Amino acid sequence: MEDVKYQNDPAIVIKEWLDAYSDKMYSWCLYKTNSREIAEDLVQDTFMAAFQSIKKYEGKSDPKTWLFSILNNKIADHYRKMYRNPTVTESKIKQSSEASFFEAYFDSNGSWLKEQRPRSWRQEDGHLLDDKIFVKVLQSCMSKLPPDGYAAVQLKYLEGKKGEIICQELQISPTNFWQLLHRARLQLRRCLEINWFKK
Amino acid sequence: MSIMKKIMQWVMLSCKKATELIEKKLLTKLSFGEKVQLKMHESLCDACTAYEKQSKLMDQLLSKHIHSDGDSNKSDEVIENEELKKKIMEKIK
Repeated sequence: MEDVKYQNDPAIVIKEWLDAYSDKMYSWCLYKTNSREIAEDLVQDTFMAAFQSIKKYEGKSDPKTWLFSILNNKIADHYRKMYRNPTVTESKIKQSSEASFFEAYFDSNGSWLKEQRPRSWRQEDGHLLDDKIFVKVLQSCMSKLPPDGYAAVQLKYLEGKKGEIICQELQISPTNFWQLLHRARLQLRRCLEINWFKK
Repeated sequence: MSIMKKIMQWVMLSCKKATELIEKKLLTKLSFGEKVQLKMHESLCDACTAYEKQSKLMDQLLSKHIHSDGDSNKSDEVIENEELKKKIMEKIK
């Protein structure tokens, strides 16, 4: 029965799925990308892809699972693109600030600047994500990262992939990738400290 | 340069270099030498010890926050977007 349904009128099936899942998919994507425009585009792309390959789907798995797996691929693709093509102005800023970046944290010998030295945070447990205000702080700190750093952080965790695989996909050396993460970590850590842990 | 001085230089990582190794440790694996260097550095440096602990916490939080799993949607509020549905239907027709 199911199979016949999917062969017959894809538009009707897509309409059903839109009603049942698109709001959830949009919310999820918005949470992942922090941008309405991007979230709308990615959900739209997902449904277009589903529409085109619906014959292959044939009701083998739960449609929600299928749609979310397409969507999650689109999200990862989005961050890969973001990593590869930072706009001209952004890469210019990156070059000029490259040398001075570390001066904000370390002195010329590479020791922590006095006011930057990490001290224990008052709260170091893993339940922070239950706190909605913390999640807001985390998201806003993430959004302040430069695009390539932001994309690198997203890709590191998005698919639970090993570092080497991400590097292959991005065609960069592991050294570059981890140095990028290093800078992002310093920035993110400082932002979280100022806006949460030391508040 | 005396051998002792050379050894000391190798042992005494800067904090900048130590934090770089911490990042590498979280991404892949450290070589035996790097492990020793980082251990030695942290035994003398509270700041980098705290930094590693905080980096691990951030890793935990970020992987939970970002990790792909549409079903365990942390932001349990569902945002409706009727416009988007209409837009997609138009394209499909």
